[in-house]
Order: sequence, then C-alpha cells, then structure tokens
Amino acid sequence: MLHALEGSQAIAQAVALCRPGVVAAYPITPQTHIVENISKLVADGKLKCEFVSVESEFSAASVALGAAATGSRAYTASSSQGILLMAEVLFNIAGLRLPMVLTCANRAIGAPINIWNDHQDSMTVRDSGWIQLFCADNQEAVDTTIQAFRIAERLELPVMVCMDGFVLTHTLEVVDLPSAEQVDSYLPPFTFANKLDPRRPLSLGTLVGPEYYSESRHSLHRALQKSIPEIVAADKDWKKLTGRSAGGLLTVEGPKDAKTAILAMGSVVSTLCEANEVLAPKRKTKLIKLRAFRPFPVEALVQVCEGLTELIVVDRAFSPGQGGILGTEVRSALAGMKKKPTIKNFAIGLGGRDIPLETITHLLDAAKEQEEGDFAILDVELNKLPPEDR
Amino acid sequence: MAKSSSQLKDEILKRRSQPKEPAAPVTDESDLARLRKSQPRFRGLEAGHRACQGCGEALAARLVTEAAGPDVILTNATGCLEVFTTPWPQSAWRLPWIHSLFENSAAIASGVEAALKAQGRATKVIAMGGDGGTFDIGFQALSGMLERQHNVLYVCYDNEAYMNTGIQRSGSTPHAAMTTTSPPGKERMGKRHLKKDLLSIIAAHHIPYAASASVAYPADIRRKVRRAVSITGPTFLLIHSPCPLGWGFDSERTIELARLAVQTGLFPLVELERGEITGVMPIRKPRPVADYLKIQNRFRHLFVEDPRALKEREHLQALADHNIDQYGLAGEGADPLDADGADTVRRGGLVD
Amino acid sequence: MKLLTRGAFALPGTSLDFKTGTWRNQMPVHKHWGAPCHYVCPAGEDAQAYIGKLQEGHPQAAWEVLVAVNPMPATTGRVCPHPCEQACNRGKMDEPIAIHLIERYLGDEAIKNNWAYPVEGKAKGEPIAVVGAGPAGISAAYHLRRRGYRVTMFDALPEAGGLLRSAIPITRLPREVLDAELARILALGIEFKPRQALGRDLRLDDLLADYQFVFLGVGAGKSRHWSVDGAVPSEMHEGLGLLKEWIAVGKVPIPKSVVIHGGGNTAVDLARVMKRAGTAEVHVITASGLPGPDADPKDVLNVVPREFEQAVEEGVVFHPYRTIQRLLMRGSKMVGIEMVRLKKIKAASGRTQRVAFEGTETVLHVDMVVPAIGEVIDPTGFESLVGGADYFKADPWGRIETHDRVLVGGDARGDRGTVTAAIGDGRIAAGVIDSALAKAEMPAVKRRDFIPYETLNPNYFEPAARAKEPTLPIGRRTDTEEIEGGLTTAQIGQEAARCFSCGNCMACDNCWTLCPDNAVVKTRDRATDGSHYVFDYEFCKGCGLCAKECPCGYIGMTDDA
Repeated sequence: MLHALEGSQAIAQAVALCRPGVVAAYPITPQTHIVENISKLVADGKLKCEFVSVESEFSAASVALGAAATGSRAYTASSSQGILLMAEVLFNIAGLRLPMVLTCANRAIGAPINIWNDHQDSMTVRDSGWIQLFCADNQEAVDTTIQAFRIAERLELPVMVCMDGFVLTHTLEVVDLPSAEQVDSYLPPFTFANKLDPRRPLSLGTLVGPEYYSESRHSLHRALQKSIPEIVAADKDWKKLTGRSAGGLLTVEGPKDAKTAILAMGSVVSTLCEANEVLAPKRKTKLIKLRAFRPFPVEALVQVCEGLTELIVVDRAFSPGQGGILGTEVRSALAGMKKKPTIKNFAIGLGGRDIPLETITHLLDAAKEQEEGDFAILDVELNKLPPEDR
Repeated sequence: MAKSSSQLKDEILKRRSQPKEPAAPVTDESDLARLRKSQPRFRGLEAGHRACQGCGEALAARLVTEAAGPDVILTNATGCLEVFTTPWPQSAWRLPWIHSLFENSAAIASGVEAALKAQGRATKVIAMGGDGGTFDIGFQALSGMLERQHNVLYVCYDNEAYMNTGIQRSGSTPHAAMTTTSPPGKERMGKRHLKKDLLSIIAAHHIPYAASASVAYPADIRRKVRRAVSITGPTFLLIHSPCPLGWGFDSERTIELARLAVQTGLFPLVELERGEITGVMPIRKPRPVADYLKIQNRFRHLFVEDPRALKEREHLQALADHNIDQYGLAGEGADPLDADGADTVRRGGLVD
Repeated sequence: MKLLTRGAFALPGTSLDFKTGTWRNQMPVHKHWGAPCHYVCPAGEDAQAYIGKLQEGHPQAAWEVLVAVNPMPATTGRVCPHPCEQACNRGKMDEPIAIHLIERYLGDEAIKNNWAYPVEGKAKGEPIAVVGAGPAGISAAYHLRRRGYRVTMFDALPEAGGLLRSAIPITRLPREVLDAELARILALGIEFKPRQALGRDLRLDDLLADYQFVFLGVGAGKSRHWSVDGAVPSEMHEGLGLLKEWIAVGKVPIPKSVVIHGGGNTAVDLARVMKRAGTAEVHVITASGLPGPDADPKDVLNVVPREFEQAVEEGVVFHPYRTIQRLLMRGSKMVGIEMVRLKKIKAASGRTQRVAFEGTETVLHVDMVVPAIGEVIDPTGFESLVGGADYFKADPWGRIETHDRVLVGGDARGDRGTVTAAIGDGRIAAGVIDSALAKAEMPAVKRRDFIPYETLNPNYFEPAARAKEPTLPIGRRTDTEEIEGGLTTAQIGQEAARCFSCGNCMACDNCWTLCPDNAVVKTRDRATDGSHYVFDYEFCKGCGLCAKECPCGYIGMTDDA
C-alpha cells in the first residue's frame, strides 16, 4: 500500500512489520526520527516490543546484543558519533555471530562537529564483521530493512542498513509498505539455536587463544563471503512477493554500450541518475549502484565492468592520507581483470555539501584530468583555506 | 569447519537424555566424579576454572550462583572472572552465561532482561563485574540499568584494583594502597585518592535493594543474594573479594583478610532499601586497621620509619572510624548477626 | 581435533577437563588430632567425641562413647579435678567447656533412664581376679567383663567403692549416686566378694592358682610417715584417718585452730569438714601454688579448682609455697608451727628440688597439726611382690617385674593420685590381660598429639559464657547435702555447643563452603577417614584456605610430592 511518509517514519513502520522483540536506541541526529516513531508505535500499542531507551549508543548496541543472545529479534539505529561509540560492541556482535539489524542514518564525523550527511560513520566500522547494505532511496531502505532481518537470521550475522541522513531520513516520499501478512510470510519468527537458556546453559563470549583465534576470524570472513548468495536470494524472493527489488548486490543503469561508468553508493546514485538523463545524455555514462559494501561483491562488480574503459568511483568518505575508501576497494577488486578500466576516484558531498545535478559533468571532466591512482575531493574549494593548509 | 548450532543442540540433547546415575550410597575417593554430581547444592561454577590459588572472586561467584539457583542467566564484564572461567573450549559455568565487553555487563543484562520480558520468561538475570568494570568503565551502563529499573541483580566482585591487567589502581582501590599505577615513592605514598563510595551512589538511584557483603561471611552472601533475586527490579550487591596476588598475601589468608576488612570498619557490611540504610552488620570488637594492613604487601610502605607512613596509617584508621560512626557499626554484646557471629559454624553444617 | 563452535561458545561444566590439581605443591589432608581434653584425661576419656555425639542430639550414644572408657561418669563428673578443663582450648578464648558437668549429666541420665551399658554376651572367658573394689578395681573388672572374661572382685570392706566411699565427703559425692552406679556395673555379671582381705581371708598364691590373672587395685591405705625434723606432736592425727572417721561416724576433733599440711583433696576436704564442724581457724599449708588464671597448672593444689574456691569461701586459709619447718611446743602441748617459704627449683643436676628460703619464717599459732601428705600401700598379703617399697613400681601398662600374671593400678602405684587415673589403669590392665589371653592388641598408653589453640580457627565460635552449676549458699551447706548441682538438658545443650571439636571434623561445611575451586566434595555418609568431606585432588590447587579456616584444625597442609 502506498503511503507518503518521511523516511524515518517509513523505516519505523518497516521495523514494526518485522515484529522485533527488543528495540534499544539513543537519540542522535539524524537517526532520531526513526526511534521517535518506533517509540510512538510502542506507546500507541501498535508494536508489542520492549523499547529500551538507553543512556548511550554503547548501551544501545549492548542491549540489542543481550537481547539477540537471549533469542529476541533485536533492532537499533544510530548515526555518526553514535556509530563510533558503538564500534567496540559492533565488532563484538559480529564475533559472537549474533543476528540483528541496525539502521545507520549516515552522517559525518567530527571534529569539526557536523550533523549532515556523508558515509564516514559506517565506513569507519566496515571491518566490524557486519553486512553493510546501502540504500539509494526510501523504498529501498524499507525493503532492505525487512530483507536485512531475514539475511541476518539465516546467517547468524548482523546487518547494517545504511541510509543517508536527512537526504533520506528526513525526506517525505511515497513509499509502498508491504502488508503484515506479506512480511510474516517472508520473515519467519526468530529462533536462535545458541540462545541463553537455563535449560541449555551455554557460555557465550569465551576467551579464544592464538591456537584458534585465526580460525575464528576465518570463519567470520567466510560467513560474510558466503552471505552473497543469501543477499541475492533475499532480494529475489522479495521481488517475487512484492514485485520490487531493492537492488541485489549492485545494479547498473544507463546506456548499455557506454564505456564510462560512475560507481556510487546511497542517495547520490539517484541524483547522478537524474543528472545523467538530464545533463549528460551525450557523454554515454553508465551508473553502477553498489548496494552491498560488506560483503564486497567482487565477482558481480568485475562482471559489470567488462568492456568499460573508465570507471569513476564516487566516495562519500575517505581515509585521510590514503584516499577514497570505496575507490581503494574497487581498485583492489578489479586488479585481476585482464582489460580493466582506468579507475578515477573522487569524494563528494562531505558533511552535507550540496550535490547539484551539475556534479555529473564536473565528475566526468575532472576524471579526464586525474591521474590513475589519484584521489581528490571534487567539490573542495581551496581558496577557503589558508595557503599553508591547501 | 565450525559445528553448526543444530548439531551441537543434538549433542546436548543426547547428553541430557542419558539417565542420571543414582546418588552414591557409600563414597570413597574412587567415587569422586559420581559424588561431584550429587552434591547437595547447586553448582553454578564448576571446578577446573583457572583462578589463582585462594581467589576471593572465584569463591564469591561460586557462592552467588549457588544461592541464586539454576533459573538464572549471567552476564559478565571482561576481567579475571571471565578469563579464568571460560578459556574456550572449556567453561566452568553451569548457567547460561555471556561475556561481551569490559564496560557493558549491565547493558547486556538489560538487553537479556528485556528479551526475557518480551518472551514472557521469568528467568532471573545476574550481571557480574569486577570493581574496574563497575566503579569505573562500566559505571555508566550500570547507572542506566538501575535507572531504567531492569529486573537484574548486579553483583560487583570488589578486589580493589585492575587485577586482570596486572594490578592497576581503580576507583575502588583504597587510599594509600600500592598498585602498579599508584606506586609509593619519594613523592607519593600509594594511591592519593579515596576509595569511591559506590554504594552511596547506587543508593542515590533509590533502587529496591542494595547491599555490601564479604567472602568472609558466606551465609550473609547467600541471604543477601536470595533477598536480591526475590525482588522484581534492580538490585545491587558489592562483595569484597580479596586477591592474594594483587594485594600480596598468602593464598590461605583470603578469608582472614576479608574478615579483618569488615572487623576494622574499612569495609562495612550494610543493606539499603530505596536508598535508606535498613541493616548493618555490627562489629563487636573493632580491630585496629594496622592488623589488616600489615599483612598485605600493598600497604607495606606504610610500615616503615617515615612520618608520612604514620600519617597514612592514621588516615586509614580515621576512615575506618568514620565508617563505624557513619553506619553505626559499633555492636554490643553477643549479637548473632555481628561480624563475629555471622560466620559461626555448627556441627552438621549451617541450615539456612 | 576440536572443532571451533560458531561464535566460540562453550558447553557447561567442561572446565572439568582441565585438572587444576597439577598446579599444587601443597595439599590439604585431614588430620584427626587429639583434643587436649582427651590428651590429659587420666582415664582416657575423649570428651570431644562424646560432646560431639551430644551435639548431634544423641545423649545415650554420647554416654556410650564415655562408658566405653570410664564406667563411672556420674562419680567422676563429681570428684575428678578435671584436668580436661584446664587443658580445654576454649579457655584461651573465654572459659573452658564445663566438661565435668557434661560428664556428670550423662552419668546421671544413664542412671535415671537405666541406659544399658554397652556390654554384650555372657562372661565365659578365662577367670580373672580383681583385688580391691575401688576405682581401679571396678574399672578393671568392668573392662574385663566387656571383653567377655569371668571376673571375681574381692574387697576387704563390706561394700564396693574403695576410697570413693571411705574418704570422699557425701557433700561431694552423694552415696546414692555412687551406689546406683556401682550396682549397675556389678549387675553386668561381675562376681563381687566383700569382706575378703588379702593376707587375712585370701592368699595371693591361691588366687594365682585359681585365676589366670590377678589385678591388684588395693590402693594406698597407710598414711605416709610424717615428722618435722623427727618431731611429731604427742597426740598425732593424720588426715585421711580423720576424714574416714568423720565419714564413718560423723565425728572430728574440734580444736580452736588447726593447720593441715598437704596439697591434695584429703587436705582440702578435711579442712572444710573441720571448719564446718566448728574449728575457728583452719589453715592449709602446701608446697604447691594455688589455682588461678596465672597459675602453672602443673604446680597447683591437686584439687578441683572450685573446691578450693568453696573452701576459701567457707573461711579456710591457704598458705601456698610453704612448708612446716618447726613445731612449737610448750612441754607436750602444741602452741604453733613455724612455716617457711619454699619453691620447687630445677637444680643443676636437672632434678627439681624444694628449696626453703631463709629469712621467710613466720609463726602460726595453732593447737593442732594434721598431716595430709598422702598415703602408701599396706603390703599385707603381697609383701613378696613389693619388697619394702612404699608403692608398686609398674610400667605404663600396670605390669610389674616381680610377677607376670599380676598387674597393678590406681593409688597402689604411687604415681597416680586421682580416681580417674585409677580408672584409666583398670582399663589398660584389662587390655593387657586380653592381649595376653586372646592375642588382642596391646592397649595404647600414648595419646595422639593434641592440637594447640593456635592451630584452631576460633573466629567461627561466638563468645559464650560457661555454664555454672547451681551451688548451695554457704549458709545452707550441711554435712549431708551435695553442695553442687547439675545442669538442665537445655543448659547442657548450650554448653556442648561451645565445644571447639578440637582436631576433629564436626561436619560444619566450612571447607565445603569456602573452597573457591569446588575441590572439597561432601559425602552423604562418612568418608573413609571419618570426616564428611573428600578432597578432589584432581582440582585442588593447594591454596590452603580450607586448612586455615577449618574451625577445628582438622585440615593440615602437607608437601605434595
């Protein structure tokens, strides 16, 4: 059924449709509206769950961890500093192989403090062992949230659903919400074999020494890799049920014979798509929308890059002193291709910097100038910096 | 290849379905394993854990889990207890137990409790941590748990320093104690600051029940644990648990030390309900703090010819006297609940 | 190869695969020490053991433990100076257990309820003769009967009891108690032949012909020779004679003032009798010290401390560490004595000597002096065995060199001096006879080491006042009524609960409760070593906590080879 909903509101509805047992959250802009909406659903009796308003993001993740370990479907959401404060727990959740879903309303990291959108928060915890799925619009975010619970619970892995702060969370869009029956048929009730239970008193979170630690890390690595078919299947089944795909591992748009492609994640893809149609139809550019960042779908990416001569990777975060995170990973992923495209890498829209439609032409032009292996912040205005800091 | 949880579940179910052996009628050393299974008390913490000799924390944890019984889920902060009980693939616990991180035992417990509530299960949750994980790094999570009124008993095993990392001072380390980060020297006489009055902070949360206890008084621990778990809502227990290695004393003296800490007034045993004192264990004959201090290496520097040493000894005596005044610990007569009477033994064991 | 579980979870209780016992270099062991009360008891009573039974709520079983050693607890509970209480470790914390009152209680209860002595079967073994029906003879007869022998006991007097009957005032030992206890023992099947004096009615050779063994418990019936530098008063009375006379006919001389010389029960009993009879001034001069908190128990009056206190209460004046140096006479009339301070001092030779100190002489004006310095044997009828000596010289088992089928015990030995010692002698002699005739093991005369107070952990015992026996006030004390009473059942329960159970497990669960490593395992029944706990050495790390905290000192640490 179609609803005109603010992104956060839509996510709250989607979470409620998944019937979580425990939701724990701590307010941070721009995630706040999500948890506000969930607590309202709880207050109104529309969602039967334990809503725990904790004293920090650290505890939000911890409460969700405890709840998942006890066999309840657990959910939390955060942003930016909150994600960083959770970082220690996020690694722990994945290492313990506890399924749960977290919405990251992507936001920049301070200092300087900045409440607006980029991807530095989720990128910083990319090594935590979580599946990370990036959404381009609110419909995708709703569908991905529901799929995320199924993926998480089948694999005993946590899933982070990343959606751009403000751009998506605070934007009113028409969203098709599935019915409760649809979701129930898609997502069975949660059972966790290793849950904390006095009838079967397991010890969770033991000390593992050097003789087994590598194996435990390998096991987690393999679990992430093996989640690729599960992510694909979850989306395929969803499409069967609702007629909508949320983007699988990645999707490609634009002219089939284009030799140049732009790769990006999140809402910027929607902007670039529109710009591509409006401003640069003659420059024949494909757009690759990457949804699965963890696991990184190397094979699928290589496949769609066959025949390209130039690939422009758009980052919304970067690793200072190194370059774009996505760019680096794409370079690494395509390193084995026989005829690989030249890869250009730019960060744009940091800390909420506006991404106008013209960005696409700037990108395509700048790419011509950039040397292979370089990285730049496309929209940086150096004249705003003292000379010695440029 | 990792075993799937369903495989393990089958394994466990198979083990459980095997008939239990009948209790041994006659016993000798060869029947030990069988005897171990038929002990007339619940074993929450099994033998084979790797705590140091004479570990007060291991004893306290054993007593707490025994008293709380089998319908309990435990959460455990990082620390000695966590390390020595669960070096994979072994676990000394016979209760469902989870360790996550150093500072989130209370938050994990909150989540466990929320899940139990969501599932309609009545299992009791006990969160555990050392003094570092409780007084210091895990304090925020604890405060949050208490404020949100989770139905959890939080037990802090207080051995007054970061022992797992090698004896560094914590907020719970007593004044003037030597640790590796509060060493005495030309400019210092051990820890400069005071032991944090955690119980008063806990009391300020106005929770239904909070108490301090000591491994020297096991019956008192049992009573307090039972009282705490019978309450629906947040409860707190601070258990003084001497550390032979960290404090520098022979492993056989753990109980003696714990007893002296109580009898000197340095570690008062009190009970608080809704923040108000409702019970104290009186001290029949307070012992001078020197009796307690001089048998511990961590106070060795207070027993040298140095006016600063004397001053610190007097300071600690004054702190003990202050506790005795503050909590009204000076007992009179032969009160069976006083610091001497509370550990009275009887032929045939305690029936409590 | 162990397969890693997902998320590295572990199964419950699997730590049992890790044997922490390998860490140990010291190991706890159960050690049943002697309790001091047992160690010092001349009769060999293990008070700790019977108090334990009493605590368990089994008074009859407690009595059975007691009479397995001493058949006359109602009597000894009243007359023994109970060195057990002086030795009692509880005295180092507050006050000793009132063991004599517990003993007395059990003895009285047995009489009241007619509890059967643990003596089974019929006497059918070899015949044994016991000469003398005093404490030593009765004990020997009883223990021989317990072991199945046919016993015939002879005594010169018309009734059994020996000096219990002839020399102990009724105020200390009511005769109905003595009679009841003796009657119950004799009824076990001991043939008693009264009015049979050795050398008058019996010949030793006849006895040796008719009986396999002869036990001599003939006591010391003759007063020891006493003089001061060879001088004796013209009208000489000796202590035991006066006391016996008083018990038999109820009469004593009543001088204005008297000095009794001696440091034993006879001296104190006589002093009290004479004081009550009307002697204005009664003095006791003794070379020993007086009982008290700071006194060396080996160097004090050999009497029940309470008896001494009661004597002082009644007005008897004691002069400790003194001896009589001179009698002051006016013609044949005695006007006083000169006494001097003395002390037992270890000489260079290593032997103790009594040294009188010049310049400490004082004069006591008294009309009469009564020596009560002890008695020696009257060898009539067995002169051949004893030679000219004052006493028998016997080994710790009562064997003498002059005859291999004669054993002696009690006061006839000279190195005894109490009723309980005589009872101990009788029991050991019975064991020696049994070992000779039935190849039983020789009875042990050495006790296990007793446990010092420092090895206990008194923290686990609450201070609790010692029970006090009801005592007649001075004004109501007569010559016929027992001065001290017994305790009620409730009081006995409280008193028994004060016992430290020195050196023996009392199943208090402390080791089981305090082991951080779950390495103390509780047994439903007794473990092989008699305790209720087994150490699981697979896991015991040897921390020593159980040993340190064992209230009873029953656990010790030993090197683990």
